[in-house]
Amino acid sequence: MKTPTLNHWLYGIWVALLIMIPADEAYTAEGGVVDTYKNATAPFDENTVDAALSLPIPSVLVTERYQGGRFWVETRKDKMQRFKCRQCHNNKPVKVTRAAEIAHGQIALKHGSESRPLSCYTCHKKDERDFLVTEQGTKIDMDHSYQMCGQCHFRQKKDWVGGAHGKRISYWAGQRVVKNCTGCHDPHSPRFKKRWPVIYSPPLSKSQ
Amino acid sequence: MDPRKNKICKKPEEKDCRQTKPCGRREFLKGAAKAAALGGAAMLTGCGGGMLGSKEELSLRWKEYFKKHYRLMTQEEKEGTVRRLESLAKIQNGVNIQMSSTAPIDGVLFGYAFNVTRCEGYMECVAACVKENNLDRKSNMQYIRIFEMEHGQLTPEVGNAKFYHQVPVEDHFYMGVQCNQCQNAPCVKACPTKATWQEPDGIVVVDYDWCIGCRYCIAACPYYGRRFNWNDPVVPEEEMTKKQHYLGNRMRGRGQMEKCTFCVQRSRAGRLPACVEACPTGARVFGNLLDPDSEIRFVLKNKKVFRWKEDLGTDPKFWYFVD
Repeated sequence: MKTPTLNHWLYGIWVALLIMIPADEAYTAEGGVVDTYKNATAPFDENTVDAALSLPIPSVLVTERYQGGRFWVETRKDKMQRFKCRQCHNNKPVKVTRAAEIAHGQIALKHGSESRPLSCYTCHKKDERDFLVTEQGTKIDMDHSYQMCGQCHFRQKKDWVGGAHGKRISYWAGQRVVKNCTGCHDPHSPRFKKRWPVIYSPPLSKSQ
Repeated sequence: MDPRKNKICKKPEEKDCRQTKPCGRREFLKGAAKAAALGGAAMLTGCGGGMLGSKEELSLRWKEYFKKHYRLMTQEEKEGTVRRLESLAKIQNGVNIQMSSTAPIDGVLFGYAFNVTRCEGYMECVAACVKENNLDRKSNMQYIRIFEMEHGQLTPEVGNAKFYHQVPVEDHFYMGVQCNQCQNAPCVKACPTKATWQEPDGIVVVDYDWCIGCRYCIAACPYYGRRFNWNDPVVPEEEMTKKQHYLGNRMRGRGQMEKCTFCVQRSRAGRLPACVEACPTGARVFGNLLDPDSEIRFVLKNKKVFRWKEDLGTDPKFWYFVD
């Protein structure tokens, strides 16, 4: 008397499986936007967007490559007030009184841990002031300061090269031109300042 | 049989079957209204037609009133309506605008990512959005809301969007909310007049002239992404963005819905939306989801991402991520 009931159950399970398997397949085949982008592996032809072909701002080629090849970074040297530094910092000592205060008085160095803050010469090359210098002693151009910052902030640099940190300038299409680290952060005091929002949200009214 | 009806129906250039079908009622009414108005206009010329504006304005408004749904227009018809709207803006408000009807780009599906760790609540994005999209200054309309949230809070619904103090505040994070441009958008399904739809590049747009202002879409949207014009939008001319798109930042009227379009007038020209460009902390990432080398794809592949209310099945193209 037991076998018919068992068979009965087995039939039931078979029927349930027959219904569930195609239903499950249909659900997964439906996909959605995640599957859509995961299936899109062909490189995008940037030339289809004609508005973004020229480099809009002064920029230099980054020495590293991201997933899509080469990219550019906004220049820094042409935006610095007193570049070139060797106008004052040549081999002779600076003789102007209070020169440091006049020229660099606005710098408030707040970088690094409180117990071990950074000093000027952690980044600036002492004997060649137009350049930066890494911990290993490699000379770095001011336009390529990301190489300097990336020594410690390597996670941020990895994200910056890929595109998760930092900003692209103006265009999502065309040649990739991004802001340098110093485009957003003050290198001497890199944390963003506390300030007032530029606008406020009105209280929700009616349907908004 | 009304001979006029037959005459209008036999348009040789009508190829779209959707076009020829409603020919009967709509076209008949159009013809009948034309005839009535001709009579009316003939009378008006006698007694000072200046009341309703110049003849040119009247003709432009007439053509605008009886235009087709944007999706059913050919590219030439789209160009035509865009030119008419430009002339109308010139005649009515004395503003020189450049409107476009740029079509979606092939092989592009826009996606957006918002870095919850990086946003500091400076609201630069909101200000840029208001400026770029010609949002109503009278009712302070804003597409983006930034929620100040305590650590551990999981949804903006418990956050504070009305903060006005120095930011960032310790032990808080900021989460921006705007239209999620859902791939399976509830607002599109709710619209009774098909005035809102999703474009092939993934942007959910509104044909403002087709909207009847029923606000079903507001009720349907789980992301509070839609806005309604309770009054005619007021934008000072010197602050107006003159580069406009038919589906984007052109001027709306009272009783019409509007929403974030990822700045369609910019993004289809290869530029970043205004909020992305304005963000001072780089918390916003925008790009083409179908391009494996794009920044948005890097974020989706390498960062911890989530979508808000993913369980609803709306399939948003707006991700949040943390560093």
